[in-house]
Amino acid sequence: MILRTSFRFQPRQGIRQQFLFGNRFGHLQHRRCLAIAASTESGNNSIPVARKGGTGSFQIFDRNVKRLQRDRAAANAEESRNVDYLRDEVANRLVERLYDINRSYSHVLDLGAGACHLARALHRPHPGLEPFASRIKHLTSAELSSKVLNRDPDSYVMPSESPMKLTRLAQDEETILLAPPSQGGLFESNTFDAVISCGSLHWINDLPSVLSGINRVLKPDSPFLCAMFGGDTLYELRTSLQLAGMDRLGGVSPHVSPLADVRDMGGLLQRTGYRLITIDIDDIIVDYEDVFALVKDLQAMGESNAVLGRRKSLAALSKDVLVGLDGIYRELHGRAEDGGSGGGVGIPATFRIIYMIGWKEGSGQQQPLKRGSGEVNLKDILGDQGGLG
Amino acid sequence: MPGNKIRPVDRLAQAVAKCGLESTAYGKCIAKDFNNVYKDKCLAEFRVLQACVAKHMGKK
Repeated sequence: MILRTSFRFQPRQGIRQQFLFGNRFGHLQHRRCLAIAASTESGNNSIPVARKGGTGSFQIFDRNVKRLQRDRAAANAEESRNVDYLRDEVANRLVERLYDINRSYSHVLDLGAGACHLARALHRPHPGLEPFASRIKHLTSAELSSKVLNRDPDSYVMPSESPMKLTRLAQDEETILLAPPSQGGLFESNTFDAVISCGSLHWINDLPSVLSGINRVLKPDSPFLCAMFGGDTLYELRTSLQLAGMDRLGGVSPHVSPLADVRDMGGLLQRTGYRLITIDIDDIIVDYEDVFALVKDLQAMGESNAVLGRRKSLAALSKDVLVGLDGIYRELHGRAEDGGSGGGVGIPATFRIIYMIGWKEGSGQQQPLKRGSGEVNLKDILGDQGGLG
Repeated sequence: MPGNKIRPVDRLAQAVAKCGLESTAYGKCIAKDFNNVYKDKCLAEFRVLQACVAKHMGKK
């Protein structure tokens, strides 16, 4: 068994921001780690991976259970709003990236909208600039669970004088983009000026198909922006659950989803036909009072376990495992400046968010230069600080 | 789960929180050699923790 107990991504220049959120937990740390810009080679080397209708061969998650979990989470609207902090934060950071693209959009698709977090983030005031919503005419928000999608009325999501039109679409984001209307799908090819997905792609079974579906509905030379949970998200919980399971039950059961890694996503975007790909990572570390608070918040977010091979007995988490979990978590990961051995008040939980921007191929688009055509050594310009770490 | 009923998991959380010492002892036992954890490796520590939690669960 491989355990990464002391692993922490060390940022070159750690940026720490402190936020205060209600009474639930102490603070939230922000670490922006790494930004890489990968460009595809010129020429059409993408592999068409779209499949007709339905989902492909990869089945990891139970989408139906996921829908039920989200419905259930949204049924208690107040509790559900209390845990908006994470997705709101991710949406806000994604909107910051939207400002980097100097464009206006007539029709944008929000894939996996949750409770319209993105629509809300688009209306947040931005220092020195209009809220981004003024640059979008029409936003279509698609979400698997209609209860989550319709949790908040329009008046809660955006001001009444907003120039943006919001359409809510309760559809499974995994399947709506796969086929054109002639084959039973919803959207024609080349429909949207941008597709944005914020914190939902980690429950998609067949990412390649969905990504090429997005590419299909995008107009040429239009961006796809995405934030998804990946890599080491919740690694503290994953390892603690493994240890508690080993000791109490004598075996390990999947409690935390397998998540896509940064490397995988770069390759995947390239393979599904995107150009000018940019990827960067953000670690959001949230402190919770104890492991029960963490698990309860995850449940209220509708992020409970939906892996097909999960334990399905009466209690998904056995009580014994739960009783022992807090002590193990604290011991291994509790603060004493992050090195474990408890001591601190709360426990940290890492959410690693992968931000991706990819462009659909279009005429007049900037092309990367041929390999080996550079005339200046980057090392001469950047000196010693040019490394990525 | 509407209403202000206390959920069982909350009662469990409160009980575990009251057993800080026992919980830490169990955690230390597991973390001591975390590359070699097998079933009931820390049974003794767990039983103590369990007893403590049960004691506090009983009380409202």
